[in-house]
This record gives sequence, structure tokens and C-alpha cells, in this order.
Amino acid sequence: MIAVLDELVKKGKNPKATVLEAMKDSGRKAVGCFPIYVPEEIIYAAGLLPVGVWGGKTDIKLADKYLQSFCCSIMRANMEFGMKGTYDMLSAVVITAYCDTLRAVMVNWPYAVPNVKVVPFVYPQNRQGDSAFRYTLEIFDKFQSEMESISGKKVTAERLEEAFDLYEQWRALSQEFTTLAATHPVTINAKVRHYALRASYYMDKKTYTEKLMEVNQALKSMPDEQVKFKVVVTGLLAEPEGFLDLFVANNISFVADDLAQESRQFRTPTRPEGTVYEKMAWRIMDLRGDTFFYEENKSRGRMLIDMVKESSADAVVVCLYKFCDPEEFDYPVYKKELEAAGIPILYLEIEQQMDSMEQLRTRIQTFTEIL
Amino acid sequence: MTKILSSKQRLNQLLAEHYQEAQDAKEAGRPVAWATSIFPQEILEAMGFAIVYPENHAAAIGARKDAPQFLKKAESDGYSIDNCSYARINLAYAELLHSDAANIPVPDLICCCSNICLTTIKWYENLAKHFNCPMIIIDTPSGMTDDISEERVRYIRGQLEEAIVQLEEIAGKKFDYDKFKDVMRISNETATWWLKATDLLKHKPSPAMGFDMFNYMAPIVCFRGIESGRLLFKQWYEELEKRIENGQGPWDDKEEKFRVLWDGIPCWPYLSSTYKVLKKNGINMVTSTYPESWSLLYDVGDLDGMARAYGSLLVQRSMDHGVRRLCRLASEFNVDGAIFHSNRSCKGMDFKQFEIARQLKLQYGVPSVFFDGDQTDPSAFSIAQYETRVQALLEMMASNVEKGDR
Amino acid sequence: MKEKLFMGIDIGSSSSKAVVIDEAGKLLGSTVVNMGTGTGGPKSVIDQLMEQLKITVQDITRSVVTGYGRMTYEGADTQITEISCHAMGVFKSLSDVQTIIDIGGQDAKVIRLDRNGKVVDFGMNEKCAAGTGRFLEVMARVVGCDIGDLSELAKRSQSPARISSVCTVFAESEVISQLSSNTKIEDVAKGVHMSVATRVVGMCNRVGVAEKVAMTGGVALNDDFVNTLSEELYVDIMVPNSPQTMGALGAAHYARNMAEKD
Repeated sequence: MIAVLDELVKKGKNPKATVLEAMKDSGRKAVGCFPIYVPEEIIYAAGLLPVGVWGGKTDIKLADKYLQSFCCSIMRANMEFGMKGTYDMLSAVVITAYCDTLRAVMVNWPYAVPNVKVVPFVYPQNRQGDSAFRYTLEIFDKFQSEMESISGKKVTAERLEEAFDLYEQWRALSQEFTTLAATHPVTINAKVRHYALRASYYMDKKTYTEKLMEVNQALKSMPDEQVKFKVVVTGLLAEPEGFLDLFVANNISFVADDLAQESRQFRTPTRPEGTVYEKMAWRIMDLRGDTFFYEENKSRGRMLIDMVKESSADAVVVCLYKFCDPEEFDYPVYKKELEAAGIPILYLEIEQQMDSMEQLRTRIQTFTEIL
Repeated sequence: MTKILSSKQRLNQLLAEHYQEAQDAKEAGRPVAWATSIFPQEILEAMGFAIVYPENHAAAIGARKDAPQFLKKAESDGYSIDNCSYARINLAYAELLHSDAANIPVPDLICCCSNICLTTIKWYENLAKHFNCPMIIIDTPSGMTDDISEERVRYIRGQLEEAIVQLEEIAGKKFDYDKFKDVMRISNETATWWLKATDLLKHKPSPAMGFDMFNYMAPIVCFRGIESGRLLFKQWYEELEKRIENGQGPWDDKEEKFRVLWDGIPCWPYLSSTYKVLKKNGINMVTSTYPESWSLLYDVGDLDGMARAYGSLLVQRSMDHGVRRLCRLASEFNVDGAIFHSNRSCKGMDFKQFEIARQLKLQYGVPSVFFDGDQTDPSAFSIAQYETRVQALLEMMASNVEKGDR
Repeated sequence: MKEKLFMGIDIGSSSSKAVVIDEAGKLLGSTVVNMGTGTGGPKSVIDQLMEQLKITVQDITRSVVTGYGRMTYEGADTQITEISCHAMGVFKSLSDVQTIIDIGGQDAKVIRLDRNGKVVDFGMNEKCAAGTGRFLEVMARVVGCDIGDLSELAKRSQSPARISSVCTVFAESEVISQLSSNTKIEDVAKGVHMSVATRVVGMCNRVGVAEKVAMTGGVALNDDFVNTLSEELYVDIMVPNSPQTMGALGAAHYARNMAEKD
């Protein structure tokens, strides 16, 4: 096992310790970023450490004060962590509004977690015209001021360029990693793959990219590996851990992903011209096949079909988080397209707080018996 | 001498005409648009599109107890039962295209304004794909301030202008800015009458039985920009004024004993039974957040003002703002208690209710109860639970009266 | 030469089943015990079957275990999921079946097969009590009868009660309210069957129904329920002899197939 890979996996498994370490080593204050997309480059350029806030394993007791039970488990977990003080080391959280639940959490937060400041950040949904592009530039400016007031440092043109370049590098290396993971599915099994990518949410991106570069180098020098089943996984995120264990146990590798927490963060290129903010805005305007952005003539189905063909995958695994409305609306549409293309689908309903894996185990095992 | 219809009767007549007109328009080759309930209908009316509103249609299907067949179809298509039942019903209707309750023709254009919720974007996106027709989206981002920012106003205004260009392409004719001004004028006047009418319910006793407000929601959605809509709400206002003059309360056969605020959409399949439980106990619903949702007021001809109005619903603003709004309603309408419908379909509203209920109690001393239900899915409601909760509220309100807290 | 024998064991959450077949695939015996995983059920069901056939476990050439409790059971050679096993069991018992509806005590499944009996798709409900045997148990208790008597009761219904709630708790209160307004218990029983059928139909439609259709699992013994479901699906539903042991039968056949390959 590659030592630096081991290190990344460990960091990916231990958010709190990794964040505290990164804060100490970099001397930066940390700002939490809610799903799905947040302009981290701006946070970084302001001298702050962006960290991911994507829920986690916890009993839900306090969050019930604000959220009914038929609510996305990730948001309930975020609320719970906030209320019990886990996020106290953050100087602020950036909360978005990609769905009604996120928006409700945003406005409840000051009441529920008064000691952690909220900075809202909402991208435009109607990305077709000029008005959205101009609006995005304006909200970047506003966001920059907010971040500057938290760090007490100015976002100079130089710092912004540096941050942008760093994040471009991170994207390129992460994409390279997923490609290498597909050809080395034993070393980079589903679990290792997830945690190695997840580590980027808790580390200083600078350190992370250095380490990922080492991992990629090591993988390139290794011979290709084979595993019995190859799947494309789609959805929000590939958690909890027990769920990943089942894939490893059944010899199924993730040969490509369409996950909000993983490839969707780094697969869209930006345009070559313009200022840094313009380039960042173009990336958002150009995002396609994404659950969380309005798109005329939804292309997610076609995109998944292409991914399956390119990666010679056996099937698509749908990781559907219960109560995720946007995902639940997309599913019937791409399901029809995948079925018409003759691609097998394994549909799994997940919650982040799931304890018993038995039901999932049966479904996954049956699926391999079918394939 | 033709009989003068009451506004209630006129309402039903207008609704029937509304559905018929849409069918006629389709047959005559006039474009039909499906739009969300608080879409800037002014631009569509000005362009001469026939507009139908899927939410209204789904509510009608729910009220006439025809929802189950559509919910079943949606489930077999792969939609989760956790998704909004309006969406499930409408997406299934898009395939089945017939209901005994009412029918709307296949659309030529899909129009979504995300100001009511973000789920509409996903729902309408699917409709546009299913019907393979163009979609206009007016996105109204939300935040945590009381008033929306200037950059948001610019973005919404920009989208309105872009939408007009899109409409010109679809309709194959130029946008009539004079008609637009006319529609704006009517819309503002209708919204004003709506607000004035619902304001009259402040009077103690209220001249209207509260669920009437739900009945008048259909026309405020569909007829805001139309002259007959303006006249309807003016008439309703005058009727209510008259009732106040004559000292008439909500019911001729019962006294208004308690006044409540109802938070959320009604349970359309159980409108009658939920209403009966309230009336039986002399409880009258006098207000909700809906009157202000359609009080979209701006200066005629002012596109910025229109953008601001459509982008400034409660949903786009801070929780503080929402709390203050509800407390003000509780105070102005002399409310004794609040009923929160924990509507399985409406996460956007539901996930703010707990804190709002707490603040209402804290700041204004108003007790509240919650009950589980759904706007149109009949399987998510239990009359036994509802009755128990209402009774509990009754006991709290009665005890407050005794204590002299009211 | 000693005869080759193959055993299938199906360990569910509330019951255990065991089946033995011979080399030709002929059914030699089967048992059902109403105790599931984590109890003495699995051991008991095998002991009873061995006693019945006058053999011991040493006489079994190969065994396969299936069901919820298959992961912790140590006495078998292989474990295979209950979906594959039910499909195999039905395929060996009835011909031309392409859809299997299996309703057990705690879960419900719809399995679609191709013409060769191979599983092509499936749907499961293992989270919600509505649409499973559990719902019937709860309602039987409220109505005041044994779960085995529900069928006869429902058959006498002239005017079925409407029970619309999806949630078991809400439905229970609906049933209580029906009974206290003097709705006849046979009408309530039929209404309960219709309610479960509606939930199951939802899952069937998601997976797709192709004829012929068969039903397995304990609830298949309730013939009024089978008729109700048949009406709602607009298809005939076949029920094999001993619907509860289809999973174990399939497991036994898998054991036999694997031994053949060796």
C-alpha cells in the first residue's frame, strides 16, 4: 500500500483532527462550506481555510427542535453538529440554497447555532442569459468582502491568481486520480477512493495537491489491476462507510463517479479568457448534467450513458439519499434513458445515519447475482 | 332582470370559464403556458398566452378526491412518495391527460418562477423535457436579509427582459408594451383588492369564514392580471364590508368564539372535514401568510419594481422577517391560537415552522399546535390526529381566556 | 451408493424454513418454524426436518442458506440472497412465471424474471410496515381476530371500508375509528387487505409486472388477500403449494446445481 495514500485515507476518515491540524500548520482560520458548490478560491485567497461540511455520523437529538424527521440526513447532521458545538472551531459557515432544505437550514442557523456566523452564498439558477453571469460576478465581489472581514486580510489580485491556480491544479490532479483509480481498482477500492478524495475537504489544498501528486505518480508506475464488477456511481455522496464496505466485499469497483461530493466538484473546465472571477463564473455557467442547477433538456441521463460506455462499466449504481428532492426528481428521467440504453441500474436508498447494512447488503449481493 | 351572482358564485363561474378558455385556445392554435402560482403572469398575459396553473389544477384534483390515480402513476414512474404531491399529481397528469375534476391542455410553454420554492424548478424542468417544449425560468435567489439586494433586483429584471425576448421568439410577434402596462395596472389593482378584502378579516368577529380565503386563492392566482379578476375581488371586498356593517360574523348559525392563524396550505382532500372540526368548536381561521404572498405591488411600468416585488416573498427573506410578519398578523388579526399544518409535501415551509411557533409564543403569547397532513395526498392525514390536536389548542385558548391573557 | 441430498435453509426475521431435495431435484420434505434469526429457530427447523426424513445433517451433500439471517448462519456451504432463491424455487415449482411477489412478515419484494427463470430486476420494501405481513398482524389484533382468520372474515365483506393512510400508526387509528362507528369487522378486514394491496401494487408498478405472476411468502396463504391483489393488478396470481418454503426450495436447488458443477 502506498504510504502517502494511507495518509490521505486516514485524514479523510478523521475530519476534526485533520481540520485542526491544517488550521495549526497553515495559521489560517477555518470557514465551513455547505454542499454543493461554494467559491472556495475566494475563501482561500482571503487567507482562510475552506473546509467541507457534509454531515457525518451522529445521533440526531437536538436538530429535531428545528427540523421535522422527513428531512435530508446530511442537513440534519449538520444542524446537530452545529448545535452540539462540533463546528465551534469554524469562524463562519457558508450556507447555500440549492434546495428548499438548505435554504431552511440557512435561515434557521442564526437561531440554532448563534455562535457560528452564517455567510449565505446562492448561485443563480437561470444561467442562460447575461444577467446570470453579471450577477455571479457581483456576488463574488460581495462574498470577497465578507471573507476579508473574517480574515482581516485583503484579497489582492496576486492572492486570487494564486488561489485560482492552486484550485485548477487540484482539479486536474483529482481527475487524474479518478482515472488511475479506474485502472487500479484493487489498490484504490471503493472505500480507499472515497476517503482519498474526501481528505481534500479537510486539508489545506496546497498540502493535499502535493500529496495527491505523489499518489498519482506511484499509481502510474504500478501495473493495471482487475476487479470482477465495474460500476458508475451517481448521487450525492458515497457514504456511510458500511455502504462502501459492501461494494468492496462484493468485488465491485467504482470505475467512474457522478457524485456531488466527488467528480462534480472538479470535472467542469473553465474558459481560457477573462479575469479570475470571470473564469470562475464561466465554470458555473457551463456546468451540465448537474442535479442542482437548472438545465433545459436535462442531460444527466445522456452523460451517464456516455460514462458507462467510456469506462466499460457493467452498470450504474444510484446512491439516492432519502428526502433529497432534487435527486428524487432526476431519477425517473435518467432511469428511463438508461433503461432504453439497456444499462442495468442498482437503486439504493441511503441515509447518512444508517446503522444496519443488511438491507443494502441483500440488494447489492442480489445485483451481482443478476449481472 | 339577470340575477346578480355573489362573488363566490362568480368565482366558480370564472374558474369553469378559465378551464374552458384554455381548451378553446389550444384548439384555436393559441399558445398555452403552464405556470407556477406566483409567476410574473403579466408578461404572459401581455403576450396573449392562455395560462393554466398546475398547482391550482392539482389542488382541484385533490379536492375532488381524484388524486390517488395520479399518485399511483407517479410512483410507478419512479417518483418518491416523499416528493411534493402537487408535482407528483401534475407529472402523472402530463401522461394521463384526463381527470374528472378538471382538465388542462398540453402546454406549448413551461413557465417557472422559483419564488415559491426551489422544488418547482425540478418539477417544471421535468415537464419541459416530457412535453419537449421551451421553458422560461425566473429565478429569485434567497438570502438572509429582510429586503432583497440590489444585485438580485438587477438579476431578476434582467431575466424578465430575457424572458420577453424568448416570448417574442415563441409567439412570433413583438411584445406589446402598452398591453403590458395595462396588465400591470390591473394586476396591481387586483392585488390591492385582495389585500383589502383579506384585511377586513381583522374585524372581530370576522365577516368571512376563514377557509374562504383558500377558495379565493384560485382566482388570485389565475385572474390577477385580468379585468374580471379585479372585479371579483372588488366585489368580495364590498360583500365583506357589508357583512361588517350588518354586524354579521363568519356564520349565521354559530358564533365566532376563537380566532386562529393557519400556517400552510390546506389539506385539499379533507377541506370539508378539517373545516367542520373548526366550526364545531367555534374556531374561525382569520389569517395566514397567503394574503401577502399575492400582494405584489409596484408602480406601473417599473420593471425594477416588478422584479423586486416578485423576488421579495417571505421565502426569499430572513427568518426574523418571517417571524415579525407572523407576529404582526397575530396582533392585527387578534389571533388566539395558531394551527401549523406540517405538510408532508412542503419541506420549504415546514422546516421553519418550529422556530416560528416558538417565537409566536414567546413574543406574542400565542399557543399553537401542529398536525401531520398533506396538501393533496390523502394517505398522509389522520382525522383522529387532527381532531385531537385542535382540541388541545381549544383547551389552551380557553384557558388563556380564563386567565385573562386574551 | 449413497444417495445425494441437498438442503436449502431460509432464515427470515420471524420464521425459519428448511427443504431437502434429492439428486433428481425431487422434493423429499420441508419444515417451517415460527422463529427467525437470532433464536433457536434455525436449529429447530433443521432438527425437525432431519427427524421427519429419518436422516442426519451428515447425509446432506451440500447446503445453501438464504434469508435475512444467512450472514450469521454457519452450518451451510454457501449463502445466496433470498431474491435469487425465491426465483429459483418458483421457477422449479410453476412454469412461465415472470413476476414473483413475495410478502413476508417484515418485508415485501417484487422479482422479475426472464423466460429462463433468471432474475432481471427487483424491488424491495424493507423499511415500512405498510405493505407487509406486519401491517396485517397489527390490524388483526385491532379487529380482534387471529391473523389466520382474516381471509375468511374478509370474504364475507359486502361493503369494504376505505383505509387510506400509508402510515401503519395512522391506519390503526383509522381502523379503530371505523370499528367504533360500527363498521362491520368483515368490511374492515377487506379494507385492510385492499390497503396492503395498494402499497404492493405501487412497488409492482415501479418494477414492472409481466405474466405469469406468482405470489410467495406467508401472506400468500391468505387467499382473500391474493384475490384482492389480483383484482388491483388486473392479472391472475398463482400460488405454489407451500408458498412459505419457496426460498428454501430455491436454495436447495442452488446447492444441487453447484454440486453438479463440481
